[in-house]
Amino acid sequence: MSTKISRREMLKLTAASAVAMSTGLVSSTKIFAAPPGQETITLRFQENEQYYADVVEAFKQQFPNVNIEYVTVTGIDHAEVASKILAQLAAGTPVDIGYAATEATQLYAGEGLALPLTQRVLDSKEELAEYFADVSPVLTETMMYEGDLYQLPRDFNAANMYFNTELLAKAGLEMPPAEWTKDDFVEYARAMTGIDGSYGYGWTNRLWGSWTPWFFVNNTNFLVEERAPGGEWMWETFYADDPKAQGRGGGWRWPAPQANNPEMLEALEFVVSLTRDGLTPEVGMGTGETLTGFFTSGKLGMTPAGGFWSGNLYNQGMPKDAFDVQFWPAWKSQRHQLGVGAAWILNGSQHEDEAWEFVKFTCKKEIMEICGLFNPVTLTTPVRRSMNNEARYSVTGPANWQVFYATLDERPDTGPIPAPVFSIEMTDIYTRFTGLAVNGDMTPQEALDGMQAELEALYARQ
Amino acid sequence: MVSQAIQPKRNRIIQWLAADTMEGIRRQRALLGYLFIAPSIIGLLVFIIGPMIATFGLSFYKWNVFRPPEFVNFENFSRLFSDPRVFTAFRNTFLLVVMTVVMLEIIALALALSVHRLASRPLSYFFRTSYFLPVLLSGAAVAVTLGYMFHRDFGVINYYLGLLGIPKISWLTDSNVVLWSVSLTTVWRNLGFTFIIYLGGVSSLPTEILEAAQVDGAYGWRRLKSVVLPLLSPTILFATVTDIIKMLQFFDEPFIMTRGGPGDASRTVVMLMYENAFGNLAFGYGSAIALVLFAVILLVTGIQFALSRRWVFYS
Repeated sequence: MSTKISRREMLKLTAASAVAMSTGLVSSTKIFAAPPGQETITLRFQENEQYYADVVEAFKQQFPNVNIEYVTVTGIDHAEVASKILAQLAAGTPVDIGYAATEATQLYAGEGLALPLTQRVLDSKEELAEYFADVSPVLTETMMYEGDLYQLPRDFNAANMYFNTELLAKAGLEMPPAEWTKDDFVEYARAMTGIDGSYGYGWTNRLWGSWTPWFFVNNTNFLVEERAPGGEWMWETFYADDPKAQGRGGGWRWPAPQANNPEMLEALEFVVSLTRDGLTPEVGMGTGETLTGFFTSGKLGMTPAGGFWSGNLYNQGMPKDAFDVQFWPAWKSQRHQLGVGAAWILNGSQHEDEAWEFVKFTCKKEIMEICGLFNPVTLTTPVRRSMNNEARYSVTGPANWQVFYATLDERPDTGPIPAPVFSIEMTDIYTRFTGLAVNGDMTPQEALDGMQAELEALYARQ
Repeated sequence: MVSQAIQPKRNRIIQWLAADTMEGIRRQRALLGYLFIAPSIIGLLVFIIGPMIATFGLSFYKWNVFRPPEFVNFENFSRLFSDPRVFTAFRNTFLLVVMTVVMLEIIALALALSVHRLASRPLSYFFRTSYFLPVLLSGAAVAVTLGYMFHRDFGVINYYLGLLGIPKISWLTDSNVVLWSVSLTTVWRNLGFTFIIYLGGVSSLPTEILEAAQVDGAYGWRRLKSVVLPLLSPTILFATVTDIIKMLQFFDEPFIMTRGGPGDASRTVVMLMYENAFGNLAFGYGSAIALVLFAVILLVTGIQFALSRRWVFYS
């Protein structure tokens, strides 16, 4: 029997293929490419292929009928990324699996966009027991909203203090002890200012980092903090033996603003005084990346950053012993602020089950180890305690890497940056008035009064 | 039965279109014309008219993507006219337009006249390319780089000013200076485009008139004022109208360099619209701002054209 195809037959076949493609028959042919009885589906995943290629490859070996389509969303900060995700939603092209840091967790959960994972977590409790045993309850609680869990934490960053050790040495100083204080900090900043045109301490105007760590250690916040009821299912199921889980609830609530309370004023006056005294350079809008160049070139002695910055500095060519990290200095307390990031699943996605399998898969230790965010260079702090080890930071530094997870284990009062459902608008108010105070257009009192008034109006509109 | 009924009707239409008469030829030409402009018309409807109608409709609703839109009548507009931040944003935008457009037009025209006078062709090409290069750069990349250069304490601009004995300037954090920084950045990035427009205008000036003016003794400033500028006036009108429209929609540079700060000192109307719609999820309010901006652009452009009758010389 001849296997040759005539020109006429070829044309017929081409035409039939074109018709099949245009009428959608191709989608049904995919079914035959997958194992019998399993339809091939595609999950739209908000991530960067550069970091997830190996993870997705491993997932596809286990789930060959699930394709992952990357949706890369960039932004200056998490709030801007969230804006773009919502724009995609408005355009009718939402993701099946998104990524949100604390800035947007409650926005997605509170607006019903993210799928509550409580029942699914309980159904998989044997599988997830090892994961939660390796993850601090501080992180888990941050991903809860009104009693339900919405995300399995993947990475976190608490604001610790980074030091340029070369400037430190030039100033004749050594790394401070863990219990150092705000007054010690001022002495350090003063000693490191003016060496080859350097400044002792630099920060940028944003929500995370910024001057937020200062009012946290001054035992206050610009929003009233309280714990939502519920969440017992989590603490009793996975953290029954962990004393750090005691007293936790169903996530955080920020029911009212209190921006102009005396402790907030005291904290803002302190950071403004650092600029006035010439210990801090100009404070503008920006992120950790904004300060990287100044820090690596020896122009900044200290700055707030989390574990993510070590990989960042390493990639910028900074030797691992040229920087180190310590807890935030104590004031009235030594309570740290943090942000947590993780995947969330679109509520109403046609592929919720597959998305859940994917999310669970990415939280396995061996899978997290191959994720491009943690390997070969650590670009953000992994949530697993066991992954924060000497080997991980032996390439990039810092020497005092234990501080990253000790911020959770030794200071379990560490809490999330305030980020209610309307966090994007709230952040705008916060940074706007912060900018006016640090540039001298307003006194700290005027700025905080203005911030309070606008926050009250924002709360009234909700 | 149905296809048999349709067939004669279809044949009649084809015969009517393909009729070998003067009327038929006219119809065929018209049809061909409509076919040629169809892509533009469809594009206009889908990407411009459609969104404009949607924006107009949305401005009467409260909508945050998550919940169904709620009709609120003129609430978004009454909020807009009582919102002091809207007035600040409009004031900033107008100041930026005036500063930027004035600098753009004067510098671009001066450069175009200078480059046009260059006798060396390679040198002329070199300057044309050099001035146009910034237009090809990404606005975001330019804003980030210049953001570093404008840094008060570490930026190279203040470093060189310092060598001249000029004290440090807070280019991006001083409310009285920040608009100048944003404006200078925008001028630098957009200069090439306006320059090319003027160069085109200067190159096409009628030489016989210029030579006649020279014979009559008009040189230098006199020739520029009384001959060149009037002849260039249609080009000047075109350049200013397009630049003003573009600058009324200022966004990239202030958004990346200052995020509108300090406070609202460099916040523009388009930034406010974007932040309300996509940041605060107030799509109705954002639409209302967009609509008012559209009306303002329409008004400003209308005034420019009305005034142009007094100074633009067409011949």
